[in-house]
Amino acid sequence: MNKRDKSFIIGGLIVAIVIAILAPFLASADPDGLESAAEKILLVEETEPVLEVPLPDYLVPAWGESPLGGVVSIVLGTLIAFLAMVGLATTARWFKSENGSG
Amino acid sequence: MHIPDGFIPLWQAAIYYVITIVALYFALNWAKQNLDEKRVPLMAVLAAFIFAIQAMNIPIPWGTSGHMLGAALVAIVLGSPWAAVLVLTVVLTVQGFFFGDGGITALGANILDMGVIAGFTGYGVFTLLKKLNLWVAIFIAGWASIFVAAIAVAIQMALAGTFPADLGLFFMGLYHGVIGIAEGLITVIAILAIQRVRPDLLLWSNKGKAEVEK
Repeated sequence: MNKRDKSFIIGGLIVAIVIAILAPFLASADPDGLESAAEKILLVEETEPVLEVPLPDYLVPAWGESPLGGVVSIVLGTLIAFLAMVGLATTARWFKSENGSG
Repeated sequence: MHIPDGFIPLWQAAIYYVITIVALYFALNWAKQNLDEKRVPLMAVLAAFIFAIQAMNIPIPWGTSGHMLGAALVAIVLGSPWAAVLVLTVVLTVQGFFFGDGGITALGANILDMGVIAGFTGYGVFTLLKKLNLWVAIFIAGWASIFVAAIAVAIQMALAGTFPADLGLFFMGLYHGVIGIAEGLITVIAILAIQRVRPDLLLWSNKGKAEVEK
């Protein structure tokens, strides 16, 4: 990887993490489009989520509604998304060289 | 527009999972053939950016909010809707398993709507309009990607018996028609930013700069 790619990654991650840190403070807490529609016209009973997740609603459960939990959750999610994408893309490329097709 | 558990009967959710897995097969094949060393970091940075910006809900009228999807952005930057399928699969899977944003039973449907349908719509609109004006094409591609995805969700909700068809189409179309303006604008801004720092990463830069220099 050359220097330009490295600085692109660092710069891109900084932009993403700044957004992640600001999101709990700036984001609107109003329901999103689907939730808003559901509030008006839902024909079925709402159910509980099937899976118990570690950071529900982008909050740290032990910290209640504290925006700090939001910051930690969203920054963590941003980094996990980055690493998962590197992993998936690298795996796909690795299969290419395994097959010897290029 | 992350669909939660309980909005889609399991047998229908299973059908969406199957369609999504087939799409993922093609998307991984695209990656195998087309991803070079400098586009892996580009995709990863886009995944991080999209995860973060999806947490930034923007208020719209009617006490509602919304966030961009990012599928059109990825498809245009990487030059393929399959790239959008991969990035949105990663983002939506992380959101579902770690944060409960979108139900696990609905993950197939969510990837189908926000990855496959939004990605192909955005890329298709961009391809059709880019000859007219690159930036107008990018804006409309962003707008159309989320609007059409919202219509797809409304159709799924009608098929599931979760929303009445007419009102579902009306509210989903109305809200996401407005959120689409933000999607279009942020898509334009993000691509302008990439063009400024790394024009070599954008596909059209290879075809001569005349097209983008206005």
